[in-house]
Amino acid sequence: MLSIRGLTVHHQLQTLVHPLDLQLHRGEWLALAGESGSGKTLTSLAIGGLLSADLHAHGSIQLEGKELLHLSEPEFRHIRGREIAYVFQDYQSAFTPFITIGKQMDEMIRAHTSLSRQQRQHSCLAHLEQVELPAKPVYNSYPFELSGGQLQRAAIATALLLSPKVLIADEPTTALDSLTSRSIIQLIQRIQQETGIAILWITHDLRQVQRTADTLLIMKSGQVVESGKSHSIFFHPTHPYTVQLLSSIPKLPSRYRLELQNKQVNT
Amino acid sequence: MSLSIGLRYSFLTLFLLFLIVALVWTPYDPYQIQMGDRLQTSSAIHWLGTDHLGRDLLSRIMEGARTTVGISLAILFVSLLIGVPFGLLSGYIGGWLDKAFKKIIDAFMTLPDYIFALILTGLLGPGLVNLIFAITAVKWVSYARLVRSIVLEQRQKDYVRLAEISGMKPWKLVVKHILPHTIGNLLVLATLDIGKIILMIASLSYIGLGPQPPSPEWGAMLSEGKTYFQTAPHLMIFPGLCIVITVLLTNSWGDFLRDRYDVHIQSHSAKRSMSSILFRKGV
Repeated sequence: MLSIRGLTVHHQLQTLVHPLDLQLHRGEWLALAGESGSGKTLTSLAIGGLLSADLHAHGSIQLEGKELLHLSEPEFRHIRGREIAYVFQDYQSAFTPFITIGKQMDEMIRAHTSLSRQQRQHSCLAHLEQVELPAKPVYNSYPFELSGGQLQRAAIATALLLSPKVLIADEPTTALDSLTSRSIIQLIQRIQQETGIAILWITHDLRQVQRTADTLLIMKSGQVVESGKSHSIFFHPTHPYTVQLLSSIPKLPSRYRLELQNKQVNT
Repeated sequence: MSLSIGLRYSFLTLFLLFLIVALVWTPYDPYQIQMGDRLQTSSAIHWLGTDHLGRDLLSRIMEGARTTVGISLAILFVSLLIGVPFGLLSGYIGGWLDKAFKKIIDAFMTLPDYIFALILTGLLGPGLVNLIFAITAVKWVSYARLVRSIVLEQRQKDYVRLAEISGMKPWKLVVKHILPHTIGNLLVLATLDIGKIILMIASLSYIGLGPQPPSPEWGAMLSEGKTYFQTAPHLMIFPGLCIVITVLLTNSWGDFLRDRYDVHIQSHSAKRSMSSILFRKGV
């Protein structure tokens, strides 16, 4: 569905992302992992044509056979939001602070469709329900009235409003606590099963995607060092950097693990 | 220790009341010359006395309030009208426009405000319109710069990016999602600036570059009164007092608004401007 070939991102003479290939299919969960500054976010922004003016992307990015890199700004505006949606890391700046959540969701639909006011509101409420939020109160509230987890859910609901084909999630759970982030991941998993949306999940924490990701791409200083099915990478990493990343996952000492297993057996 | 809210509002109300009255009514015709009554001190007939041509001083001060405060508001308005769109465009579009804009700012910053305005009025010649033009030419830059910096800061925010992703038209995005962020800061800067603009108008008029006689303007009145300072000091004291009170009032309100709206100041509340210290301790 989304196919990237030989994508590079330059800043003046410096190459920030070296030729990168990526295939994302319908219903697939692809995780792009690597440390800060490895070019994950730049790659994701390049897909939506959101790079700032001093950065240049070359290569080929195709969405269902349509080349995205050479689209004009108005054409891109048509695709963004409708076919490619984003969720970002910082939930606090996911919504403009002085406009209600509902209005901002409404704006999104209005920019792309010609639905009536009631239809738009109905769709917003339905999507808020889909992310397990109390729809009506959230629709009418300002961003500062919601908690971090609620905001991130609302951001996901907004991203899914126009049933996009690809959801690009740029470390959406990094700023959340571990329990909330787990429930967000479960939510997205459920939505993916329901809608078959393709997900490009960007993270620096491999633990998060251990269970969910189908495919894994490991990046280091702008280069893909390893890619493949996620379970094969988890169990048989080939590149030394991947080994290092995997070994940095803290493990429960074996005596605790045994204790935990015993407890689970008992209860 | 800060001025109590009630006192602050009552000062402002009195001032606005004075302005409104001045708009519609003055005790005497401020232009009426009565050579028999010249240089009188305060009395029941002429509350603040009369000037060297026997004109009623209170009436002239009220008429002058209209001119001085009116001009300063006009300058402020035009500066905002030019500065805000310029800042928005420059910050949002970036690229060559922004580069050109930065050069313009640098050019304006090479000389202090006063000197720049002085040179401009000097070149254009004295007069009300030229004065407005000169001070606006100096002042709009700071608004454009402020707006530009806020736009640059907000552009990085995810919600602006998300609004971009949502497919909004750029001008709509700027007006709805970025412009409201600038209002608090603009309000603070504008309020603080009124005092500065009034001082600038008064000082330029004082040296004869402002509105020409006989039209009363506080700075010009000071200039006219200085010849008679030893025999009739009220000619300088009252207009001077008016300038001081107006500038202190706007500065105090500016500081007050800044304390409320500017998050950067909230964390270092120890930093207070000189004017607020004066106002809080003295008046």
